[in-house]
Amino acid sequence: MSEHDCGCSKNPYLPEVATVLEVITESPTIKSFRVRFDNEDAWNSFTFQPGQVGQLSVFGVGESTFVINTPPSCRDYIQFSVMRAGEVTTAIHKLQAGDKVGVRAPLGNHFPYEQWKGKNIVFVGGGIGMAPIRTIMLHVMEHASEYGKLSLLYGARSPEDMAYKADLPGWLESDVLHTTLTIDREAPNWPHRVGMIPNVLKELAPSPDNTIAVLCGPPIMIKFTLAAFREMGFKDENIITTLERRMKCGIGICGRCNLGGKYVCLDGPVFSQAQLNELPPEM
Amino acid sequence: MSSLLFATPKDLTSWLAKLASDHRVLAPRQEGPSVVYRPRTAEQLASDDIDALLRRATASPKQAMLPQCETLMTFKSVKDAEDPSKLTTTLENPCVAEPTVLFGCRPCDARGFVVLDRPYLEGKFKDPYYGARREATVIVTQACPSAFSSCFCNWVGSHPSDKEGSDILFTAVEGGFVLEVVTEKGQALLEGADFADASDRAADVEAVHEAAAATLPSPSTLTDVPAKVAARFTDIAFWEKETVKCLSCGACTYLCPTCQCFTITDEGSQLDGRRLRSWDSCMTPLFTLETSGHNPRPTKAERMRNRISHKFSFYPERYDGFFSCVGCGRCVVSCPVSLDIRHMVKAAVEGVVLDAGKSGEPAEVPASEKAEEKAPVEEVKAPAEVAVPEAPTAVPTEPVEAVPAESVEAAAAEVVPVEPVEAAASAAAPAQATPASRTQKSAGRTTSRSSSKSKAKKR
Amino acid sequence: MSVLAGKELRIVGFLCNWCSYGGADTAGTARAVQPTDLRIIRVPCSGRVNPLFVLKALINGADGVLVSGCHPRDCHYSAGNYYARRRLELLKEFLPVIGINPDRFEYTWVSASEGQRWKDVVTNFTNRIHALGPAPRWEDVPARYDRPEELIESIRPLGCGEHPALPELRQAVKDALAEGLEGVLGWKKGFDAVHAEPVFMTTPEEVDSLIWGPFNVHNLAVYLPQYKGRKIGVVVKGCDSKGVVELLAENLISREDVKIFGMGCNGTVSLPRILAKLPEGVKIESCTGRGNKITVTAGGQDYEMTMAEVAQDKCRLCTKPNAVLSDVFVGTPTTEPAAPADGRLPGLRFLDSLSLEERMGYWKGQMERCIACHACRGACPMCVCRDYCVSDTRDPAWVTQEDTVQQKLFFQLIHAQHLAGRCTGCTECERACPMDIPVFALKQQFGRMIQKIFSYGAGLDVNATPPLLTYQVEEPTIKEHDLA
Repeated sequence: MSEHDCGCSKNPYLPEVATVLEVITESPTIKSFRVRFDNEDAWNSFTFQPGQVGQLSVFGVGESTFVINTPPSCRDYIQFSVMRAGEVTTAIHKLQAGDKVGVRAPLGNHFPYEQWKGKNIVFVGGGIGMAPIRTIMLHVMEHASEYGKLSLLYGARSPEDMAYKADLPGWLESDVLHTTLTIDREAPNWPHRVGMIPNVLKELAPSPDNTIAVLCGPPIMIKFTLAAFREMGFKDENIITTLERRMKCGIGICGRCNLGGKYVCLDGPVFSQAQLNELPPEM
Repeated sequence: MSSLLFATPKDLTSWLAKLASDHRVLAPRQEGPSVVYRPRTAEQLASDDIDALLRRATASPKQAMLPQCETLMTFKSVKDAEDPSKLTTTLENPCVAEPTVLFGCRPCDARGFVVLDRPYLEGKFKDPYYGARREATVIVTQACPSAFSSCFCNWVGSHPSDKEGSDILFTAVEGGFVLEVVTEKGQALLEGADFADASDRAADVEAVHEAAAATLPSPSTLTDVPAKVAARFTDIAFWEKETVKCLSCGACTYLCPTCQCFTITDEGSQLDGRRLRSWDSCMTPLFTLETSGHNPRPTKAERMRNRISHKFSFYPERYDGFFSCVGCGRCVVSCPVSLDIRHMVKAAVEGVVLDAGKSGEPAEVPASEKAEEKAPVEEVKAPAEVAVPEAPTAVPTEPVEAVPAESVEAAAAEVVPVEPVEAAASAAAPAQATPASRTQKSAGRTTSRSSSKSKAKKR
Repeated sequence: MSVLAGKELRIVGFLCNWCSYGGADTAGTARAVQPTDLRIIRVPCSGRVNPLFVLKALINGADGVLVSGCHPRDCHYSAGNYYARRRLELLKEFLPVIGINPDRFEYTWVSASEGQRWKDVVTNFTNRIHALGPAPRWEDVPARYDRPEELIESIRPLGCGEHPALPELRQAVKDALAEGLEGVLGWKKGFDAVHAEPVFMTTPEEVDSLIWGPFNVHNLAVYLPQYKGRKIGVVVKGCDSKGVVELLAENLISREDVKIFGMGCNGTVSLPRILAKLPEGVKIESCTGRGNKITVTAGGQDYEMTMAEVAQDKCRLCTKPNAVLSDVFVGTPTTEPAAPADGRLPGLRFLDSLSLEERMGYWKGQMERCIACHACRGACPMCVCRDYCVSDTRDPAWVTQEDTVQQKLFFQLIHAQHLAGRCTGCTECERACPMDIPVFALKQQFGRMIQKIFSYGAGLDVNATPPLLTYQVEEPTIKEHDLA
C-alpha cells in the first residue's frame, strides 16, 4: 500500500471553485456557461483534450457531467452547455455571471484526432449533442490544413432549439467547413434544410473513403444515423460517438456508468462504433 | 514473517483494550439478533465476552473503510459586504483517518478489501478517503472455525483460513488463540503485546483450518466463468426468470463486502453545506436513471444482470480475472426471498435456464419432499433423477416432513397443553426420546428415503 | 408567568390559508399580545397538512407543532379539515411510540374572525410547550440496545408438520395452469433446510416443488401488482390473503386477474429464533417437523425446538389462519381462535413499558444499525409505489442520504404513515430486515390506534374503505382538542 497520503492537494473529488463569467441563452432549454477557475495557478496549469468532460457543481444542489465544448486553445474560459432537465441543471440555469460554481475537470478520454490527420471528417450533431461536436470541430478547424475535407450536419427540432446561434454564421461561411443545418419540421423564414438528420445525411451522401464520421445526439438519432452511415459504407471503426450515462464520481469508482467492464466516465465518453460493438448492448 | 503467538481469551481482550487507548477498535457486537461492528472502548473490550467478539457480523465490515455515509467536503460562502450578491466560496476537505484496528473479520471480509482496493486505489484516480482509512487500519482476522450453509469462499479462490488482505490471522485452538503475523503492519500492532510463542501449536492450527475447510460445499467445477457470464448478457429471458422473486430491495449490495457503488449528494446550501458520499445500490432503478427519463437498466432483470456480471465478468475482465465476490454468502442468507447468487452464477455459466426446484439440489432432497402419508414408497422414487451432484446448493436440504398419522387439527391439538413438558424433553433429548421418535430422528439425518420408509413403518 | 420572559422555543405552525391564517392576521391587526415562538407556515387547507410534515418537524428538533384549520363544516374545500381531523388525531396517538410527547403536537380550529381565540390558542400552546421545555435531542438521548426476546403465548395451537392436503393443493394449481393461468406464486425449498423461497410456477414440474409448512414465511401478495393485467394465481396463508384483499380493495389488482389458493395455516417460524438455537456457523443439513416439534440437524447434531419457541410473533396472535378470500381452499380449515381479550402485541408491550425518553433511546439504538437498504419497503405488499417512492426523491427532499438516526427513523415513519389503515400486519418489513430491526412496531402502533379510534382492521373486506380515506361529520370517537 502507498504511503499515508490523503492526497488532499489532488483529491479527485474536490472541485476547483470557479466563477461564471458569462451566461449565453442558446435555446429555450439550453444555456451555455463560460467559467474560469478562481485559483490562477490552477487555471494556468489546466489543460484538456477535446471531448473530455467536466463535473459542474452548484454547491448545495449537486454535480452533473458536461462536455467542455470550447477548444483547448481557448485560454480565457471553458464553456459548458446545459439543457435544463433535472434538479442540478435547473439550478445551473439559475446561475448568473459572477456566481460561484465547482468544476472537476478534465475527466474521461478524448476524440482520437491524432489518428484523423489527412482524413475527411463528417461531423453530425443533433440537439444538445452539438456540444461535444463543437469542441472537436473547432479544434480540427484550427488545424484544418492537417485534415481533409471537413463538413458539419447540425440538426435541431426547430430554429429556436438550435444552439450556438452566434457561431452559425461563421460556420456557414467558413472556408474550411461545409455546414448543413436542418430542422425536423417546416418553420417560417428557415432558409436551410428541413428533415430528420439521417434522411438529410443520406441526401448529402458523404463518401466513406478516407472519412471519419463523428456523431452525437439523442439515442434515437444516433440509432438511425448510425444505420445511415453504415448503409453508405462507413466502417464501424471510422464512426465515432460519445456516450451519456448517469454519472456521479466521474473517476470510475461509483459504479453506475459502466457499459460492461468499461466506465463511460473513465474509458469514455468517446467510443468508436467498433469499440461499442465489443461491449454489452446496454444502451 | 509467519511467527506464531499464543493468547488466552483474556490476553486477547486485554490486548484489544490496550490498543483502544490509541486506536479506534472496531469489533463485532451482538445487537438484537444481529451482529454489528462498533467502535469499542477499552472498558467495554476488557469486559467483553470473548465469544461475542468472535461472531460473524451480519453486515460486512466494509464500513470500516467505506462508511455508509461520509462527508467528502464542506463548503461555506461569505457574502461581499459591498455587493451581497457576490459570494466568496471556500471548500474544506475533512479527509482524515484515525488509526484503527478492525478486529474479528473473517478471511472473506479481509479479502473484500483487496477487491475494493483495485477500483479505489489502483486505477488512474485514487480515492483518498478510502486510501487514508485503508492505510490507517490494521486488520485482525479470525480464521473461520466452520462454514455456514451459505458460505462458498472456495468457489472464488479462497478458503476459511485465507490470509489475503489480513495483517494478523488468528485461529481458535484449545485454550485460546494462535495469532499469525501476516504483514509488517500486523507485526507492529503486536509490539509490546506479551504473547507466548506458539510455534509448537502449528499442527493444531493446521488441524483447525483443515476441519473448517472440510465443512465447505464441494468446490465449484465451473470453468471460464467470466466469458460464460458475459455470453449470457443478451439472454434477457434468463435474467427475467432468475429474478422473478427478486424484490429489487438492494439488501444484498449493502451487506456485500465487495460492492463498491456509491452516490454523491449535496446537503445544505452554498452558504453552508456539505457534499456527501453514501452507499448506493445497483439494484435500485434510480441508480442509472438519467434526467431525460431514459434508464439503461429499467427492470430488476437488467439490474441483477449487471450485479452478477459485474462480479463475475466485468470486474475479472478489468482486473486480471479476479472475481468481485469473496463468497461470504451474506447476500444469500440475508436476502428476504433467499435469492442465491451461487445458483445464478451456476445457471448462467452452465447454459440452462435452471429451475432451482429441480436441478439445483442433490439427489436425496427431492425424494424427501414426497414423504407423505399417501403411498410414500412410490412417490419417493419419482423426482430423484434430476439431481446435479456439484450443485451450488450442495447443502443437503430437506423440507419439513410430513406428519404421517396426524391431520393438521390433530397435530395442533397435540401441541396445546404440553409446552413445559416439551421444553424439558427437548433439553433432555435424545436420551428420553421414545424409540419411535428416535428412529424418526436418525432417519431424518441420513436420507429422506429411509426416513419416509420409517414413517411408513410407523404408520 | 409570561412566556415572553423566557427563551424562545422552536414551534412550527401549519395554518390554513382561509381561516386560521386569517385568524392570526386578525389577532395581529388587533395588536393582541402573543408569544413569538411560533413559526407559521401557511398551507391551503388543514387537509394539506401531511402528517409527515409534523413528524419531520418533530424528528428534526421542533419543540412543538401546531396545526390549525377552519372549524368543521367551515372548510373552504368542503371536507379538507374532516380528513385532517382523522389523520391528525391518529398522528397524535402515534407519537408516543417513538418517544415524542403527544402534547408537543396539537391541532385545533380557528376561524378568520376569531382573533381573540387565535391569541388564546397560540398563548396556551406556547405555554404548554414551555412547560414541557425543549424537546429532548436525539444526539443527547442515551441509546438503548436491550430488547427482550418475548415469547408470547400462542392463542392457538401451532404445528409444523407438512399439510396432508398438499398433494391436493398441487393438483389444484396444476389444474389451474392447465386451464390457462400464466403461473402461480407459491413456495419451494430454499438454499438450506430452514429456508423456503418464493417460486412462480408455470409448469407441472414446478408445481411439484411447491411446499407448504412453517418455512413459507414470505407474503407473496407483494408480487401481485407487477403482474397486473395478467392472469395468475397465488397461494396464500391467512395473513397473506389479507394483503391480497387490501390490494383488491385499493384497486391495485383486479379480482378477475388473480386466482387465490388457500390452505389452513398452522403457523410459520422466525428464522432468527431458529438460528439462535444453533451454534454459529454450523452447516444446516436437514430439518424435520412433526406435530409442534422441529428437529434441525446441523453439523451432525440434532437440535430440537418447538413451535412455541420459534414461531413468528404474528402467528402466535393470528386469528385468521385461513385465507379470508380464496377461489380454491384445500383441506380442512384451521380452527379460528378468538382474538385475545387483553390486546397483547409483541414488540409494543416492551415499548409501552418504557418512558418516552427511553423509547427515543430504544429507537436510537435500533436504528443505528440500519444500513438503509430498504428491504422493509421491498418486502412490503402495500408499498406499491415501488420505483417511485417519495423517500427517493430529491425534491421534495423527505430524507437525505445522511446516515443519522433521525434520517433512518424518518424513512420508517414515512413507511408507517403511508401504511396507516392499510397495513395488514404481515410483518414482512421486519422479517426482511437483514439487520433485524423491529420496524413493525411502528406500523403496529398505527394499527392499534386505528383499531381504537375507527374500529377498523385492514385486509378483511374488499369493499371496505380505509378510515383515512373517508370521514364523518361528527366523529364520536374523536374528542375536540380545545386550546382556547
